[in-house]
Amino acid sequence: MKHRLGIQFALAAAASTVFFFVTPALAHHAFAAEFDVNRPIKLRGTVTKMDWINPHSWIYIDVKGPDGHVVNWMIEGGSPNVLLRLGFTKEALPAGSEIVIDGYQAKDGSTRGVGKVLRFADGRKLFLGSSAPGAKGEPDK
Amino acid sequence: MYRRTWSAARTERTRTASVRVPRDPRLKALWLKLTTPVTDCRIRVVRKARFVRGAMVVVLTWFWLGCAFPQAPANRARTPDGHPDLSGIWQVLNTANWDLEGHAAAPGLMIPLGAIGAVPPGLSVVEGGSIPYLPEAAAKKKENFAHRLELDPEVKCYLPGVPRATYMPYPFQIVESQKQILISYQYASAARAIDMENHKKAPIDSWMGWSNGRWEGDTLVVDVTGLNDATWFDRSGNFHSDALHVVERYTPRSPDTMRYEAAIDDPKVFSRPWKISMILYRHAEENAQLLEFKCVEFVEELMYGHWKKKPSQ
Amino acid sequence: MTHLCLAAGFGLLALAPVYGQAPAKIASAGNKDWTMPRTTDGHPDFQGFWTDASVTPLERPKQLGAKEFYTPEEAAEHDRHELVDRTSWDRLGSQAQVHYDMSQYGLDVSLVKVALTRRTSLIIGPEGRIPPLTDEARKRRADQAAQRRGHEFDSAQNRPLQERCIVWSNTGPPMTPAAYNSNLQIVQGGGYVAILQEMIHDTRLIPIGAQPHLPSNIRQWLGDPRGHWEGDTLVVDTTNFTNRTNVFGSTENLHVVERFKMVDADTIVYEFTLDDPTTWTRPWTAQLPLTRIEGPIFEYACHEGNLGMPNTLSGARAAEEAAKKDAK
Repeated sequence: MKHRLGIQFALAAAASTVFFFVTPALAHHAFAAEFDVNRPIKLRGTVTKMDWINPHSWIYIDVKGPDGHVVNWMIEGGSPNVLLRLGFTKEALPAGSEIVIDGYQAKDGSTRGVGKVLRFADGRKLFLGSSAPGAKGEPDK
Repeated sequence: MYRRTWSAARTERTRTASVRVPRDPRLKALWLKLTTPVTDCRIRVVRKARFVRGAMVVVLTWFWLGCAFPQAPANRARTPDGHPDLSGIWQVLNTANWDLEGHAAAPGLMIPLGAIGAVPPGLSVVEGGSIPYLPEAAAKKKENFAHRLELDPEVKCYLPGVPRATYMPYPFQIVESQKQILISYQYASAARAIDMENHKKAPIDSWMGWSNGRWEGDTLVVDVTGLNDATWFDRSGNFHSDALHVVERYTPRSPDTMRYEAAIDDPKVFSRPWKISMILYRHAEENAQLLEFKCVEFVEELMYGHWKKKPSQ
Repeated sequence: MTHLCLAAGFGLLALAPVYGQAPAKIASAGNKDWTMPRTTDGHPDFQGFWTDASVTPLERPKQLGAKEFYTPEEAAEHDRHELVDRTSWDRLGSQAQVHYDMSQYGLDVSLVKVALTRRTSLIIGPEGRIPPLTDEARKRRADQAAQRRGHEFDSAQNRPLQERCIVWSNTGPPMTPAAYNSNLQIVQGGGYVAILQEMIHDTRLIPIGAQPHLPSNIRQWLGDPRGHWEGDTLVVDTTNFTNRTNVFGSTENLHVVERFKMVDADTIVYEFTLDDPTTWTRPWTAQLPLTRIEGPIFEYACHEGNLGMPNTLSGARAAEEAAKKDAK
């Protein structure tokens, strides 16, 4: 019985994705136009500031290149309203924090990117963990 | 009982046996004076005149008391908990949004707009007349004014902040309940929720700030913190930092008017706190309604036009 | 880790009481001790903070046919699957690769209070789907799609209203669940019911009474609402939409009727009927619970922080340049 239910819901879920009318892909701006899947980036740097603004928050980090030259990158993130509701404050990511970002660079080649995965230098995720216990965690690639 | 006659010839009085004349000589004299019909015409005229004078004195005193010591408030609408009901659609009738300080009429920045784009005159709404800038800040204000077309956030349809939202040339609507007061502004659909019950600290800066409200008698006092530094006070470059702290006071003064005061405190920009003061007028038309002014689409060409795809050669 | 444990646990706890209730033709409250809170004029007091976040799809999955309600067990399994098994990456679909991890910002729906229902779809009735389009609407959609093709990134005006920060599609009316920040605040006073929605800080000011609608030449993105009470149900009638408001493909002929009925201390059943004879062959109705939450509503100043618009357009221009170079 449970097995049949499971399949039924998996099918329903698959079908409902198309009709799940809150899909951010339709709702949000086209990340695929802004960022380049062929320009993956991995940055390690120190936070200079975080803009807790909408529709997207921005984390600014100083990244030291191989030539020793420091470049400031801006990394796009989510709406901060939910973080505020969960009790985080603007002190949650203080300047000077060392973080590592896996993401993609902007299509226009500027020092701007989207942070697919963001971690502190010690490996902890930035604000919250993956969405639920037992979840698949990070996507492939 | 006696019968009154006005005949000058008749001096007799008729009394019934049941009337008692007081024994005390002074009381008797008074009683006789009050009950003796006045037959002398001159005395009647004088008494009439004195009566009228007395009545006028009473009436005038009544009005004087009413005007010199106004009852609080003349606005009779009150919510069930006894506070003035500020609900309604309001707007200012001044030019504070052009310039908080006193200003004569002046040409506008867009020649094709002619008189439509020109600056109307207005008296200062700043108590004391001028805004007390610190020296470096005064220089920045001058620079803001010189570049106001590029720098005034209103040009880009950005949220106006507090107190500017109050005196924009657009109406706003107050919806008042005991625990929360909402203010919805026609300009850019700006909105504020004033918490009348659970006063918390602003967790983050925002364009419209964080509003905690309370009643002081019949005055709504709103403490506004958490304002970001991106708004201006007017179109003339008057500005502030993120240290801005505003305390607003809304006081009904008649059924259709309110006095609005805002105390401004920003030690990074001004040498001392200062205050603005103006009147809010109710939209009393039967069909008064806040309509939409969603100006974002009006500024897209201005803000994003240079990113448009050029037509191919 | 604590946050998500608590939240997921809360989510699962929240499932329990809902499914004990009778199916959602909810005439009376589940909790018999509850009395309707009222304002001093005797009408229901809806004031406070509410969410319409949902994991129920608008349209019923085809394979469920005419099944309008899950059994309590089926509903619990469905919600558990949505809230626990699926991740924010699943929901994003094609954007997942070049997108920030939503769960890291608390934007996954499992981390917030969700308005649960035993319905298989928000659209009620035996079909549970948006009715067929009229021929006129079919043609209109095809024409619009043809015009858009290849021009999606030409200018700001070519982008969706949400990306332009003009109006969020879930604001409505009708109100529909948003992926996050799906919150609203209701305040009643001065003869109005005011609904402030978080995205994009829009306030619907609904006058209670018999005033006529605006004249037909005045059109608004959110239309023109008029409210009245039918017993304890607030009924809101909205007309005067613009021809670009576009609710599931509607035109300026859209007519929305919403009904709000409080059924217990923490639940308002919100129902909306959409009618546009130039778009759908018949009106259709959906029902969605609103669940009480703790405030406040946080400011969502969209246009002021809309770096995405210039970034998206400059990215599109850069891609075109790169394509030109490659072609040479």
